[in-house]
Amino acid sequence: MSESMISLLIHGLWETVVMTFVSGFFGFLIGLPTGVLLFLTRKDQVLEHRFINRLVSVVVNIFRSIPFIILIVWMIPFTRMLVGTSIGVLAALVPLSIGAAPFIARMVENSLLEVPHGLIEAARAMGATPAQIVSKVLLPEALPSIVNSASITLIALVGYSAMGGAVGAGGLGQIGYQYGYVGYDIVVMNTVLILLVGLVFFIQWIGQTIARKVDHRK
Amino acid sequence: MIELKDVSKIFYKKHSAVTALSGLSLKVAKGEIFGVIGASGAGKSTLIRCVNLLEKPTSGEVIVDGQNLSRLGSRRLTQERRHIGMIFQHFNLLSSRTVYDNVAFPLELSSTPKQEIANRVAELLALVGLQDKQHEYPANLSGGQKQRVAIARTLANNPKVLLCDEATSALDPETTRSILALLKDINHRFQITILLITHEMNVVKAICDKVGIISEGKLIEQGTVSEIFSHPRTELTRQFIASSLHFNIPLEFQQRLSPFPDERKHPLVKLEFTGDSSKLPVLSEASRLYGVNNHIVSAQMDYAGGAKFGIMLLEISGSGANTQKAIEYYNNHQIKAEILGYV
Repeated sequence: MSESMISLLIHGLWETVVMTFVSGFFGFLIGLPTGVLLFLTRKDQVLEHRFINRLVSVVVNIFRSIPFIILIVWMIPFTRMLVGTSIGVLAALVPLSIGAAPFIARMVENSLLEVPHGLIEAARAMGATPAQIVSKVLLPEALPSIVNSASITLIALVGYSAMGGAVGAGGLGQIGYQYGYVGYDIVVMNTVLILLVGLVFFIQWIGQTIARKVDHRK
Repeated sequence: MIELKDVSKIFYKKHSAVTALSGLSLKVAKGEIFGVIGASGAGKSTLIRCVNLLEKPTSGEVIVDGQNLSRLGSRRLTQERRHIGMIFQHFNLLSSRTVYDNVAFPLELSSTPKQEIANRVAELLALVGLQDKQHEYPANLSGGQKQRVAIARTLANNPKVLLCDEATSALDPETTRSILALLKDINHRFQITILLITHEMNVVKAICDKVGIISEGKLIEQGTVSEIFSHPRTELTRQFIASSLHFNIPLEFQQRLSPFPDERKHPLVKLEFTGDSSKLPVLSEASRLYGVNNHIVSAQMDYAGGAKFGIMLLEISGSGANTQKAIEYYNNHQIKAEILGYV
């Protein structure tokens, strides 16, 4: 492998890491409140509201059912409006964040469902407002589970960002596609795969370590 | 202090409606410990949840310390709940917080300054005897310790009323005794009114001043503990009183027990004493009057709220006619005598 190829791979790895974590961050920024809203408006919860719950649920399901590669293309006008371009890392962040958000929302909702109902009841009995229930009971109690969801999401985003590489998103995906799929350079293709696998293992390890640290349930 | 007026609660399911409470009224005076006893499904959980409106009654009024809670908006209700403590069967401590932070939780809710929280938490942990555990997480505590933390937590805001939802049902007998003693102590020391629900008569016997028996969403009987123990009016109440006594026929007697009278056998008789029973020394009286021998097989007598009650198992020997007369004598003195068989 030439030196320029190595520096290209390092740059590609960096771009993939940026796309994964930045879109993961924005995904959580949208997905976390949405997940909390989905949970709170469920039947028998503190802000039970059938209509809102249905509405949000439908929107989430629609976005979850669009294949990611289509979502990128479909969102191009919106992406252009937001960041001024439709190719490159910056442009990829938009569909990646939007694609991850509904996924995260469902994961968060599920994590909150694992919190024993008695804790919410106890907090209500002590005079906690719905906002206090969310910030002091639900999120801290569900934290280990949310951290696990975060690592699953980030790993899914590694895959998505590689997929985005095929349509000009940059990162390891693009290198793998150009040099591996188009140019059929086995060495580069396999190096890209090894780097992706390494990244996934790293995220999983970090996630598990944090989850174990914040889990005091046993 | 606590008053429920004609409270009903109906749960609507898809195709049916379940009445959990039907027109229940209840009054608990300040400083009193009131126990509600009932079988599972009788509505006692719903009852206690209606007092702080965790369950909204379908109809009726809930008045705590002169405030009609059922008419308050959600914001005012949240404020009022801070004066109503509640402890639970499964403790409901936050697993993500240490003992200290769990006790601090209700104080944080009302935005108490940090220093004040520290003082109050130290005071409360001393009260329940857990100062040395303040940095532990609940997962490392025993059931009794968890309930003590929950009690400390619920006292943090100086509640006027304490609701206990089967607070000792998940604990072993020894721990139950110590938690009940703590509750009684708190009741005395801070004049906190306590409403507790339970399915165990022993809990009522141990700490309650008054008791109500709930069945199918209604209080079928209520009064002071001594009244209820001495004059139980319903069969259910009698069963609950009997359930607090452990009655069984020893194995050796069970094997010899025959349902038919026999020349060589003596009747095995169960005597039930209630507060109504004669205060006379009935066993020796019967023995003297009818020349029978009362052989006590097992006996459990107890004393609650000034009433003596209990169950005794006797083997009565004597002539057939005299034995019969002795049994009649017991019954005439308000002691329920029943022949279980012949041994």
